[in-house]
Amino acid sequence: MSEKIDSETDTAGDITIEPERGARKQSIIPGVDIVKGLWSRQSKATRLVIRSVAIAAGIALLVYLPFLNILPFAQVRTDLSPEGSSWSAVLFQVVVYMIVAVGLNIVIGLAGLLDLGYIGFYAIGAYSVALFGSPSSPVTEKIANTFNLSTGWAVPFTACIPIAIAFALMFGVLLGAPTLRLRGDYLAIVTLGFGEIIRIVLRNLDITGGSAGIVEIPAPPGPEITNEYGSRVGLFNRLDHEYWYWLALVVLFLLILFARRLEYSRVGRAWLAIREDEDAAGLMGVDALKFKLWAFAIGAALGAMAGALFASHQTAITPNDFQLNLSFLFVAMVVIGGSGNMVGALLGAFMITYLPERFRDLQEWRPFAFGLALVLVMIFRPQGMVPSRRRAAEFADRKHEAEEAATDV
Amino acid sequence: MAALLVGASLAACGTTDDEGGSGGGGGGDDAACAGKIGAMGALSGPNASIVIPSVNGAKLALSQFLEENSDCDIELVPFDSEGDAAKATPLASQIADDADFLGVIGGAFSGETRATKGIFDEAGVTMISQSATATDLTTEDVKKVFHRVVGYDDIQGEAVATYISDTLGATKPFVVDNSEAYGEPLAATVISSLGDAVAGTDKTQVGQTEFSATISKIEAADADAVFYAGYIAEAAPLLKQIRDAGLEIPVVFPDGVYGADFPKAAGSAGEGAIITCPCVPIEDGEFSSDYEAEFGEKPGAYAAEGFDAMTVFLDAIKSGATDRAAVAEFVNSYDEPGLTKQIKFDDKGDISVDNVVIWSYKVEGDVLVPDQEISLS
Amino acid sequence: MIGALDSLVLVPMVNWDNLFSDIPGHTVDGLTRGAIYALVALGYTLVYGVMRLINFAHSEVFMVGTWAVLGIYTAIGAAEGDPLWFVIIATLLALIGAMLASAGTALVVERVAYKPLRKKNAPPLIFLITAIGCSLVLLEIFGQVLKVFFGEPFGRKPISIPSLVKTRQLIGPNGALIQTDVVTITNMQVIVFFGAVVMMFALDFFVNRSRLGRGVRAVAQDPETAALMGVNQDRIFMLVFILGGAMAGVAALLYTMQFDGTKFDVGFIIGVKAFTAAVLGGIGNLRGALLGGLLLGVVEVYASTLFDSSWADVTAFILLVLVLMVRPTGILGESLGKARA
Repeated sequence: MSEKIDSETDTAGDITIEPERGARKQSIIPGVDIVKGLWSRQSKATRLVIRSVAIAAGIALLVYLPFLNILPFAQVRTDLSPEGSSWSAVLFQVVVYMIVAVGLNIVIGLAGLLDLGYIGFYAIGAYSVALFGSPSSPVTEKIANTFNLSTGWAVPFTACIPIAIAFALMFGVLLGAPTLRLRGDYLAIVTLGFGEIIRIVLRNLDITGGSAGIVEIPAPPGPEITNEYGSRVGLFNRLDHEYWYWLALVVLFLLILFARRLEYSRVGRAWLAIREDEDAAGLMGVDALKFKLWAFAIGAALGAMAGALFASHQTAITPNDFQLNLSFLFVAMVVIGGSGNMVGALLGAFMITYLPERFRDLQEWRPFAFGLALVLVMIFRPQGMVPSRRRAAEFADRKHEAEEAATDV
Repeated sequence: MAALLVGASLAACGTTDDEGGSGGGGGGDDAACAGKIGAMGALSGPNASIVIPSVNGAKLALSQFLEENSDCDIELVPFDSEGDAAKATPLASQIADDADFLGVIGGAFSGETRATKGIFDEAGVTMISQSATATDLTTEDVKKVFHRVVGYDDIQGEAVATYISDTLGATKPFVVDNSEAYGEPLAATVISSLGDAVAGTDKTQVGQTEFSATISKIEAADADAVFYAGYIAEAAPLLKQIRDAGLEIPVVFPDGVYGADFPKAAGSAGEGAIITCPCVPIEDGEFSSDYEAEFGEKPGAYAAEGFDAMTVFLDAIKSGATDRAAVAEFVNSYDEPGLTKQIKFDDKGDISVDNVVIWSYKVEGDVLVPDQEISLS
Repeated sequence: MIGALDSLVLVPMVNWDNLFSDIPGHTVDGLTRGAIYALVALGYTLVYGVMRLINFAHSEVFMVGTWAVLGIYTAIGAAEGDPLWFVIIATLLALIGAMLASAGTALVVERVAYKPLRKKNAPPLIFLITAIGCSLVLLEIFGQVLKVFFGEPFGRKPISIPSLVKTRQLIGPNGALIQTDVVTITNMQVIVFFGAVVMMFALDFFVNRSRLGRGVRAVAQDPETAALMGVNQDRIFMLVFILGGAMAGVAALLYTMQFDGTKFDVGFIIGVKAFTAAVLGGIGNLRGALLGGLLLGVVEVYASTLFDSSWADVTAFILLVLVLMVRPTGILGESLGKARA
């Protein structure tokens, strides 16, 4: 699937600004040149048909994935070993982190803002649903008391999502406006601080449920079904994770379309200009702060949506679910896949979430293996697994510069 | 402590869920004594050392049981949640989806317990936690599958208050917590039980190593005893710094600090520190020597509780329970003496308050020495 | 409704009495805390000043130093209550050991992880992720790998390190060195604070006065011109990592002397704080690291007494944001290249 989207990206030249052709000469994966040659010889109509069929097949495969049980492909499942974890629940978590990666890719990959506190927005989304949706949260209890509503009153799930997005946009602007003037590395530490502040404040206040967090977080609405134990449960229940997975998949697809639209819009080009050279962009009349704020806030909203899905699926959250190291993991997802490229970010999110679950057998060795893998991947493929074409070109250019510099000395 | 999630599921082998009724009937011969129990908790990562002893305790119970009942085919499957609720959810579902699992020992920490008890509830998997002490687990968002063999925070908190005011005779105790789901409610109970006597309170954070601010508050309050609700990693440096500041007042810790690691981490400052724990002394018993023979170290925190939780499930399977409903029924009516206390669950899933025993221990050299049983009035 | 809003306002309990009853004492505590931040911050600031690179693995460079101290104490059998001459020798050995171990770790990270990336001229983000990877590997070496091979004390449990200096009765009781009505200063606090300040001035002197130091400043100011002038860039980079690592080693010794213990993840929080301190003072600026570290330490202790410790980090980060809004490059600005005496 990722391969297909990748090739699509590579041929979507009609809407992107073309990078220097020279950069495309060498391809990183052998055989790609041959495929590209064959591809370019097809007529436009044929290409369209092939591409549509490929995308449809890809979507069908993704939808079918929870039930994939044909050897040898079933080897991808995470529930094969006796100590494994539920395959469809892992798939759901993978897609939630993919949404995170799409959102963070806007902030880091497109606008070039190093955000080390993205977990804060994920937490804001999760807590919005928890605080307004749970009948036992201090917020709903307070509202119910104040307005004499019946006990057990809570905001329905569907109304919680706009609340989550609104809060995320608000905090994105609130935190971004004073700090986005700062240069890259300073922004990194400030955002890291924000991520921590949000977690600590959620933990220290009574109104957010304190350190114990919130329970009874609502699920998305759905028809009642009978589960395999004979009791009536909602469609989005605690055992049938494939419904959650499909829901997250739909959200992910909509957000991918949205993000692609954005990337190739005027806003996207402005981000690109700012990322490459903020001063030059400013001279050309791009209001850098405004567009950075947009990126920050939109990224925040996407992170909040992922957080909302997470909280709803968990039914119970605590501030400790939003530790700082998850923030680093999010950045790693975007970078390891290929910063600036959505497919890369998706692949990064997939690998970082899925592989530790698939290789549970390694047990205590997993963090070590993860760290080692991170270093090795970065050393041998610093442009990421699936670099964006533009980034690859920039990268080849930088490498070339480095070689020249080396011969100079 | 905060909450240990142990998923133990026992499944009758040869009996699938679809034909549970008839399978149970026909299971009288070779299939009667079989199944899987899950044990879910942080088995890797920074919190693993708090959880592993209890899983080892459960393993010990199983191996001793299998020695006596060699015809049984029971398996204890550990699931590593890393103490992370997000990672615990898929594991809980994995246990729930496999009909062989008849129960879980767990959750180890309160966060993951809250996030997974709904899953186990929908699938009817009985949970017996060896260390989830958060009071709200049996009062809020109640799920009837949840049980625990450990006294909850409110009971321990009251016992601590009794100990501080009666045994220590402290009139100006100072209460500190670690701002976590474990320490905060425990400290709150202690504070409300001590009432007006409390000379002052303070909060610390996990990962903190420097406590000068807390100590200056203790000094300013002229406190004559300190209670710190937290974990070993912070308790050890706090105690050292209290002693370095020249305060020779008694310092009391809860079960989060219980274990042989604490004297090691606190060094010479640990001498005389008091630790309360809803666990009976096991240091010198047969369990302790068996445990040490099997795992090469003294039993740590909740090892005996893990043993007890597993024993309940083993008894259930031995009694002929072959599906989850039968196990649940057996566990709910269970009433046997365990290693740590009389194991009998009330309708909330808690051990009856009458059976909870809280002991105080004193650090002497490298070991915790049982001091006295604290009376629960 | 007013009542509802009232409890929605989120102000932690403020206790002015706690703070003002003992300002000198809290300041001493804060300076001691900040001195260690400052020493670790030097590593961030040196590397950043020269290479424009945030070495996120530096927290683990510090952590390795604390284990080196434990290793040396164990090897020479140092224990509480040893005679004074032995304590001095043991401490000096531990100092050398910790500096070597930390500097060596920093150097290995640079050679193995960063150098290949530099050869490819990778963008800064790649260095960041690599640093996080290195950090994890070093953490796990002490938390997992060494435990499998050598057993305890390696692993994830907190470990006690004998306190050789602190409990000694030099002058007053409880290791107090200066005891007046206003403030009590322990010998440990004096050692930590002055140890840190002396090391910092030594480093400052080295960078500003020595030939090698001139090379460091030259590369920091303009790498290309420096290369043209015959400065071996690669050697300067190595030097910077070694210097930063050695300072983290000193910090590690002072830390273990003060807190008598370590843990495999002891570096994480100190690393974040030290990085904050470096940015606060002006990253790339050696004196900024000192100022930022001390300020951060004092602010944290003040916040812990004024509210409680659970609000200390929030206060520290808010201070950072406020400072950066007024001075976008930190209090003293980033100026390793221009550092003047």
